[in-house]
Amino acid sequence: MKKNTIYIILLVLVLTAYFGYNYIYQDHRDISTENADYTINASDFIAEFINDSETAQTKYLNKTIVINGDITAQTNNSITLNNSIFCSLLEYNTISKEITVSIKGRCIGYDDLLEEIKLDQCSLTKINQ
Amino acid sequence: MKNLILTFLLLLTLSIAAQNKYITKTGSVTFEASVPSFEEVKATNKNTTAIINTENGEFAALVLVKGFRFKNALMEEHFNENYADSDEYPKATFKGQISSFSVDDLNNSSQQKQYNGTMTFHGKTKTLSNEALSISKNTDGSLKITGKLKLNVADFDIEIPKIVSNKLSREVDVTFEFLLNKK
Repeated sequence: MKKNTIYIILLVLVLTAYFGYNYIYQDHRDISTENADYTINASDFIAEFINDSETAQTKYLNKTIVINGDITAQTNNSITLNNSIFCSLLEYNTISKEITVSIKGRCIGYDDLLEEIKLDQCSLTKINQ
Repeated sequence: MKNLILTFLLLLTLSIAAQNKYITKTGSVTFEASVPSFEEVKATNKNTTAIINTENGEFAALVLVKGFRFKNALMEEHFNENYADSDEYPKATFKGQISSFSVDDLNNSSQQKQYNGTMTFHGKTKTLSNEALSISKNTDGSLKITGKLKLNVADFDIEIPKIVSNKLSREVDVTFEFLLNKK
């Protein structure tokens, strides 16, 4: 009887440790596999921010978004869509032409110094040749 | 004809004005509030915007707080929800000026400069005076600005709960590195 109690206490301890560890050291969000909260055209997305940047920022902040737009600038690790959406990429950029793409990323806010919307952890979901 | 010349001159001055700005959209800002022998409390934001006007040394930077990445996902969540309140205050900004700045004096060896300005984070603004930074001009024409400063969490109205108070430093080390290109 006493032995059983010890086993139960041990089991509870092990389970607490296991779930506790998994809670404290949980994984980061994986934006590239998350379902998008919003799918939107770049021009409509920009229009919402021009109209009211505060409201749009509150709506989209920290959300996973898929944006369809035209590449207007790019670097090794970023793509700019329609001149005003700056997407920081998870992986090195392999595109070197100005084409239409769909990009999935997380909106981190509105940069009013450059009047750009910033997204991080972006990945390309569709490339329209 | 006169109007045409005036318009031309106006456009010319505008383009000159635009050439005095150097910008980056991918500047790096790191803060660390670790306490020895406890888990590292450190995050980096690699999407910081910074602009410098080389005519007068005016300098501005903007950090989107959600863009700070921690090693530990739970720590990142707590930072955003309980300390930085990034839903309410998504931006941290700095506006100021580098003292005795002259772009022509810059070369590829880094120079120490002082700067003054104001920093806003978590809805609170703090004045920074005579902080130091290093600046150099690379051979490709870009400017590199790096620096370190110490900030107190109390200045930004951030409360640290008792339960974690011995694991978090009240004095936060901030380092920044910007590689700015001519606009």
